[in-house]
Amino acid sequence: MRAFGYTVARDPAEAVRLAAHTPGSTFVAGGTDLLNLMRDGAEAHDHLIDVNRLDLGRITVAAGSLRIGGAARMRRVAEHPGVRREFPMLTEALLASASPQVRVMASIGGNLLQRTRCGYFRDAASPCNKRVRGSGCPAITGQNRGHAILGGSEHCVATHPSDLAVALTALDATVHLLGPGGARAVPIGGFYLLPGSTPDRETVMRPGELITRVDVPRTALAGRSRYLKLRDRATFEFAVVSVAAALRTRGGVVRDVRLAFGGVGTRPWRDTRVEAALRGRPLTRQAIDEAGGLLVGDAKPYEGNGFKVELVQRALASVLGELGGLR
Amino acid sequence: MSGLVGQGVARVDGRAKVTGTARYAADHEVPGVLHGALVMSTIARGEVLRIDGGAALARPGVVAVYTHADLPRLRLPDFPYNRRFVPMQDTRVFHQGQPVAYVVAETLEQAQEAAGLVRVRYRAEEPVARMADALGEAFLPDDFRERPNEISRGDAAAALEQAEVRVDRTYSSPMQHHNPIEPHTTTAVWEDGTLTLYESTQGVVLARNVVEFAFGLAPGSVRVVSPYLGGGFGAKGPTYPHTLLTAAAARLCGRPVKLVLSRAQMYTSNGHRAEYRHHLRLGATRQGALTAIASTSTAQVTRADENIYNGGDSTLRLYACPNVHVRQLGVRLDLPTSSYMRSPETTAHFGIETALDELSHELGIDPVELRMRNHAEADQQTDPPRPYPDKRLLECYRAAAEAFGWARRDPRPGTTRDGDEYVGWGMATETHTYNVIPSQARLTIGPDGRATLRAATQEIGTGTYTVLTQVVAEGLGLPLGHVTTLLGDTAYPAASLSAGSATMPSVAGPAAEAARRAREAVIALAVADARSPLHGVPAEEVVTLDGRLFARGDRDRADTYRDVMTRHGGPVEVTGSRANTAGHSFGAVFLEVRVQPRLGRVRVTRVVTAHDLGRVLNRRTARGQVIGGVTWGIGFALMEHTMVDPNTARVVNPNLSAYLVPVCADVPSVEALFVDRPEADAELNGIRGFGETPGTGVPAAIGNAIHHATGRRLRDVPFTRDKLL
Repeated sequence: MRAFGYTVARDPAEAVRLAAHTPGSTFVAGGTDLLNLMRDGAEAHDHLIDVNRLDLGRITVAAGSLRIGGAARMRRVAEHPGVRREFPMLTEALLASASPQVRVMASIGGNLLQRTRCGYFRDAASPCNKRVRGSGCPAITGQNRGHAILGGSEHCVATHPSDLAVALTALDATVHLLGPGGARAVPIGGFYLLPGSTPDRETVMRPGELITRVDVPRTALAGRSRYLKLRDRATFEFAVVSVAAALRTRGGVVRDVRLAFGGVGTRPWRDTRVEAALRGRPLTRQAIDEAGGLLVGDAKPYEGNGFKVELVQRALASVLGELGGLR
Repeated sequence: MSGLVGQGVARVDGRAKVTGTARYAADHEVPGVLHGALVMSTIARGEVLRIDGGAALARPGVVAVYTHADLPRLRLPDFPYNRRFVPMQDTRVFHQGQPVAYVVAETLEQAQEAAGLVRVRYRAEEPVARMADALGEAFLPDDFRERPNEISRGDAAAALEQAEVRVDRTYSSPMQHHNPIEPHTTTAVWEDGTLTLYESTQGVVLARNVVEFAFGLAPGSVRVVSPYLGGGFGAKGPTYPHTLLTAAAARLCGRPVKLVLSRAQMYTSNGHRAEYRHHLRLGATRQGALTAIASTSTAQVTRADENIYNGGDSTLRLYACPNVHVRQLGVRLDLPTSSYMRSPETTAHFGIETALDELSHELGIDPVELRMRNHAEADQQTDPPRPYPDKRLLECYRAAAEAFGWARRDPRPGTTRDGDEYVGWGMATETHTYNVIPSQARLTIGPDGRATLRAATQEIGTGTYTVLTQVVAEGLGLPLGHVTTLLGDTAYPAASLSAGSATMPSVAGPAAEAARRAREAVIALAVADARSPLHGVPAEEVVTLDGRLFARGDRDRADTYRDVMTRHGGPVEVTGSRANTAGHSFGAVFLEVRVQPRLGRVRVTRVVTAHDLGRVLNRRTARGQVIGGVTWGIGFALMEHTMVDPNTARVVNPNLSAYLVPVCADVPSVEALFVDRPEADAELNGIRGFGETPGTGVPAAIGNAIHHATGRRLRDVPFTRDKLL
């Protein structure tokens, strides 16, 4: 790690102004991922702008939506009574993330922008197209157990590690940004980019933009939701496969369903064809299997991650079975 | 006797550790110290062509960038230096993460930043990174530490041929790393040709010997200080290159230098458990008597050395079997040298204990019964077989089975369901071959009547300070608080390496001996002193208890250690040394798993152990070893796995985020039973080593329980969910 400058911003406008005028700068909130990346040499920044003093930590249940400040801490969001009541999937995804210590520190904005756990990305001595465009991807012919079967390219097959982002993707959240060009809102479905030939670009955020808020629509569907996370130890570990699911049935027929997947895609994965295949049909094992088959129809497994093709379908069946009362 | 030995005395150093006043090696503040940072190779095989330290040297605070061109020529030490080369002596590169340059700067941050600026050019050759790619080149390595890699008794091939029942299977385990929470660290201070090292090492004496040899220094020129360790697990048993390089750098720059390895550097600097494939063939009668064991193991070695550290004792001598053939092969890979890692026999033990379960299933004989039928009363590798002294493994099986409720087990796999989980019960024998190292301990009774024990052994986290303090307090008849134990300094009498479970069997006896002799010396002072109420009492009639000395028949004729020593006006000092012999300790582990096969989830939900460890010295620290061992076993079985890139031979998960070890939620409560013998020799003769015994059977017991739960037999650890789908 090399020496860097540090400024505490007092309000969002100042934070954005500082970022625009300080070359090589980035924002820091909890720092739970950023500082590790800098120590490992996976990222280098000349200047950090601290956004912890900004008034961006509020969590409010407004008329149409849940509003989560970009600097709200994971723990506060997970424990918020309104979130627990109306968005059980969010609480479950957050509590399944990291450790209690990390959740006290880590912010919602930082969580959405955390970098992949790919070992090649985090090792500054390895080639990695995400870290240094054009340097190559050793994971494709190397250790790829943790990597994506969906949405990859010949340049990158790294997964996005956030559980929260998967849940927000299922719930049609909107990400609010403030930057040098002003404020804008981006639906989360369009927020993350596929790697293509530019895996170093992970989101549509422009230089100097800050996540100020995340809005989640209040729907009856969100109240009947679950987040299932499968991993290699009981806690404090990223997903091998995860499923965020919300389901509403009437008389055994699917009225509405939202599904997103973690651990399998190069971004939080949502495939509306899978939802469409279920909507309006009786929730049966066969319907679920067909939907799962659609999900992995385009999957491209590698030497170490082929099992995810089967595992993600089983995870889907498990969570839908539970929500839909199939036993 | 105050009966302290055996009690679950709380750690005497516990408060210092939890409040941060215990000073670990890197906590030592040396005036004027510089900070070192290693530049590590980024190829696995080849040579260094050019090193450009210009940009690094230009940074503020950077004192030097040393390369192989600068370092003094060092002699290549023998074991326990376990690499056949010293880095930075020439341009050769044997593995990724080998030191190629050593940066010294005024601050840690300056040194680390500068290390990142050193440019190294290489000539690289293609490495061999995976054992699977080189199995055709497996070979029988030379003897290692006087142990051959091929051992045979009877005629295993013929016996297999004639066997009524056979099991023929291959088991495997991956490369694993020790991951002590305290990183390796060295601070080197030269003064007038002598060197002091503040080191995190499991053996101050051996570290001193290695460094003196490497630098060609006269014996006694080096002092190694290591009062506490934040774990070692074998990673700090041998002495490693970073210690030699730091001493060399400190000498070159004429100032003390401190080096702390990063977590990532620990994955290439201090050994690991070798990847291991184990082809086992068992022959048995229909009644379950083993007639043949043919074991061929293959472990990774390197292009530079060929030592096998995962011994096959469990296949060789754990069960009575007349025909045994053990071959330990090696495959050369371009990876760092492996080493001993907590319970090195676990790899071979996993195979034999799983194969026995397969045999029991084949024969329809209960796995406990099968083990009892093959119980070894004597060590079959000695001629004639020497009976194991007072072995109580059979009692362990019975005690643990009873506590677990094993009799209720339905042997048919897949018969017990609870919700969406299948419940399985499995068991395995546990054993470890412990070492004994000649040791001394010096005991001083001061004029204040308090005692201080000094020994150059170590506290690696297991409770050495506490147990030795108990031994001395009981031996003298002093309150625990009047005894201080000092460890981890070569200024003290030479004592055991803290490895091979050797500390207690090596040092408890000398400490007890010193206490006995010091007690006798103090009694002699009292009874010879006209001012003592004990004047004239026969020495053998004097009882010591709680700091007091009194006549056996007349408690009113009493003195105290403090008064005797105050009148004496000087210290009493004695040195204890007593030989013990290496041996084996045994036990059994029974456990329950719950398996959700559709999602591949395995949980260990209940564990009962029983161990025969001779005399329990401290019930609490012994139980700590059982909990730790079970935790290690769960990690071995379910998650631990060092991943190496097949093309570059670079470790891909060199951190505690990606290299998984169990968290609390992975480990159920453990019921630890001891087949104890408190009546054993009060002088603590024949104390057994124990630390590494628990855990050896856990991986097989988990696999056996998974089989019982589901009917699926897994033979390759870790049993991750993909293998259960």
